[in-house]
Amino acid sequence: MITLTHFLIVGACLFSIGLYAVMARRNAIMVLVGIELMINAAVLNLVAFGRYDSEHYGGQAFALFAIVLAAASVAVALAIILNVYRHYKTINPEDINHLKD
Amino acid sequence: MTPDTPTYPILAAFATVLFPFIGFLLSALAGKKAKSGFLAIITIALSVITAGYTFAMVWGEAPIHAQWHWFTIGNEAFHLGIFLDNIAVLMLLVVATVALPVHIYSVAYMKGDPGIHRYWTYLSLFCAAMLGLVIADNLLLTYICWEIVGFASYLLIGFWFTKDAAAQANKRAFIINRIGDIGFLIGFALLYSGFGTLDINALFGMEGLFVVPAATDAPASAAQGGLPAGWITVAGLAFFLGAMAKSAQFPLHVWLPAAMEGPTSVSSLIHAATMVAAGVFLLARIFPLFDGTVLLIIAATGTITALVAAYFALTQFDIKKILAFSTVSQLGFMVAAIGIGMYPIALFHLVTHAFFKCLLFLCAGAIIHEMQHLSDRHQLGIDPQDIRQMGRLRRYMPVTFATMLIASLALVGFPLTSGYLSKDALLIHAFEWAAWQQGVAHIIPYVLTFVSILTSFYIFRLLAKVFFGPTVTAPLANGQAGIHDPSFWMLGPMLFLAACSFFPLFTLQPLHYAHAWLLEGIGVSTPWAPIPLLHVAVPAVTTAATLAIAALAWHWYVKGKYALKTDGLLYRFSLHQGYLDSFYDRVVVGAVLGLANILRWLDKHLVDGIVHGLAAIGRGLASIAGWIDRQVVDGLVRLVGKLAWGLGSMLRHTQAGRLQGYLSSLFLIILVILLYHFIVQA
Repeated sequence: MITLTHFLIVGACLFSIGLYAVMARRNAIMVLVGIELMINAAVLNLVAFGRYDSEHYGGQAFALFAIVLAAASVAVALAIILNVYRHYKTINPEDINHLKD
Repeated sequence: MTPDTPTYPILAAFATVLFPFIGFLLSALAGKKAKSGFLAIITIALSVITAGYTFAMVWGEAPIHAQWHWFTIGNEAFHLGIFLDNIAVLMLLVVATVALPVHIYSVAYMKGDPGIHRYWTYLSLFCAAMLGLVIADNLLLTYICWEIVGFASYLLIGFWFTKDAAAQANKRAFIINRIGDIGFLIGFALLYSGFGTLDINALFGMEGLFVVPAATDAPASAAQGGLPAGWITVAGLAFFLGAMAKSAQFPLHVWLPAAMEGPTSVSSLIHAATMVAAGVFLLARIFPLFDGTVLLIIAATGTITALVAAYFALTQFDIKKILAFSTVSQLGFMVAAIGIGMYPIALFHLVTHAFFKCLLFLCAGAIIHEMQHLSDRHQLGIDPQDIRQMGRLRRYMPVTFATMLIASLALVGFPLTSGYLSKDALLIHAFEWAAWQQGVAHIIPYVLTFVSILTSFYIFRLLAKVFFGPTVTAPLANGQAGIHDPSFWMLGPMLFLAACSFFPLFTLQPLHYAHAWLLEGIGVSTPWAPIPLLHVAVPAVTTAATLAIAALAWHWYVKGKYALKTDGLLYRFSLHQGYLDSFYDRVVVGAVLGLANILRWLDKHLVDGIVHGLAAIGRGLASIAGWIDRQVVDGLVRLVGKLAWGLGSMLRHTQAGRLQGYLSSLFLIILVILLYHFIVQA
């Protein structure tokens, strides 16, 4: 049978893949994808723990919120990436280092 | 007599000192305007009058003493005062009387000298100091005057200070007098420590601490004083050292011949009454202090001085040097008289000597003056004081010759002169003393008699060479010299002094001293019985010897039959004054200079070395401190700075501006925190 542990393992795997993508990819779009993966890992955890609140379905409700917020953030992030590209003519995060001293 | 009310004689004596002192102050204030010497002469003339009045009032009377409180140190009060007894008023009168002719003489003698205003100033100071010395009532005041006399003589001897010889001479006089001053100072310091007073009357007066006992060679001082007998002897010797320097006793006499570099009128004053007399006067003043030992030393020193100086005088060629050694020799006589206990006779000889020695110098001054004129007029370039250049001066200067002959006869003690009285008195007492004394003292009178014969020789040699003998100076020989007796201003004082060199001034009995008022006034009491034979034998022998010597000098120097070799050891020894000057130059001056060189070396190497060493140590310490400052203190500050800088430059690499890098480190930090929690809670 599929237990909570399985869900958590899958969530952890998703988070790790997302984290790797955020830290290692050379493309801002793929970094954004990594972020989406990490958000979905969190959402999966919310849904998985939601079975312990069968009265209010708080986990599911929060998952829905998170999905909506993720969609909004993707829209904003894509807009930022588009502007970054216009400004720098690249979306490689390695090359955008104007934050350094 | 009450000590506090000044009586007329006291006031007169005070005025006697005050007049020349006022003369000194006014001349000093007037500066170059006081050329005429009018002030100095007027003041010294007033001094003579007041001194005469004082003398008339006090002589033969009880001593008068007046004193005023001077200053107080702790509980010890010092007094300032005037003590007039027979000795003091006698000296007062003699000093003033001898000083006056010298002043008048100086008007002509010093005429035209560019520094004459200084001359009058110094002369007044000199006389004031000597007069003050004579009437001072305590040893401190005496000492002060003693020093001023020394200082004034220093100024006068070096009057022509641009001459190197004069500068050397006054330095020598001053230094040798300082030696004596130390003796004087030690002497009265000893007395003060023993007796707590410096009052001459209290110490040496009629009822003083040192009462003169009947037998003069054994003062009762030791029993009464607060000073052990040994120290009394030391004090006596110390005072005698002072008198030795002042009165030019062997071997401290060297300053007096050297002092001839001063003007001749000054020499006459120094030699007659003002300077060298001070030593003899002091010895007479403090006579009761001396015990048998000291008296014997004094007598021996006086005799040696008389002999040595007469011996040196035999061969000198400088007219003033001969007279200077003559003075030293006569001072030896006086000191020997003190030594045999006959201080009245020493004073008697001092007084007679003052007149005829002053006259001798004034005559010599006149001769030098004329010789200088002669030399200048004919461009001869001769030394005006060299008797070898003179000769036949009797023809040109008859009055000078006559006065000088009188003075010379007085010097050798020829009958009818004053010198005869005092010198025979001295010799006769010396013989009587020797007979009374035992042992080697017998030599002393014979030596003194021999010296008086030497005296005859050198003074007749001088007279023969100067006034009679053949001359090498051409204008003198051929009668074209054009020199003559000096003017009245110089001749007057000479004639006055010549009159004073005869017997009537001292006694109406020309051939015997016994009734001289001077000796009767001071009072001679001898512990020995007079030997009548001597009173005939001594004058007879000395007079006969004088005549024989005069004949010999005539034969040798006028007839030109000089019989002695001039290269013998004795002759050379005498000519070079016993090589004492070179001895002093080598030994004393050389030693002092050597010591100075050593001290300079020490100063340069040791003292400077220490200072330099300290400086080097200081510099070393400073450089160490500097190094510490730079390396440690600055180093700490720099270390902090560098640490911050290093840390900063290390940390700036984390600010790479790479988004993913930031995220990675964020993740790592979170991971570390999680692990930490995990480990801690496990």
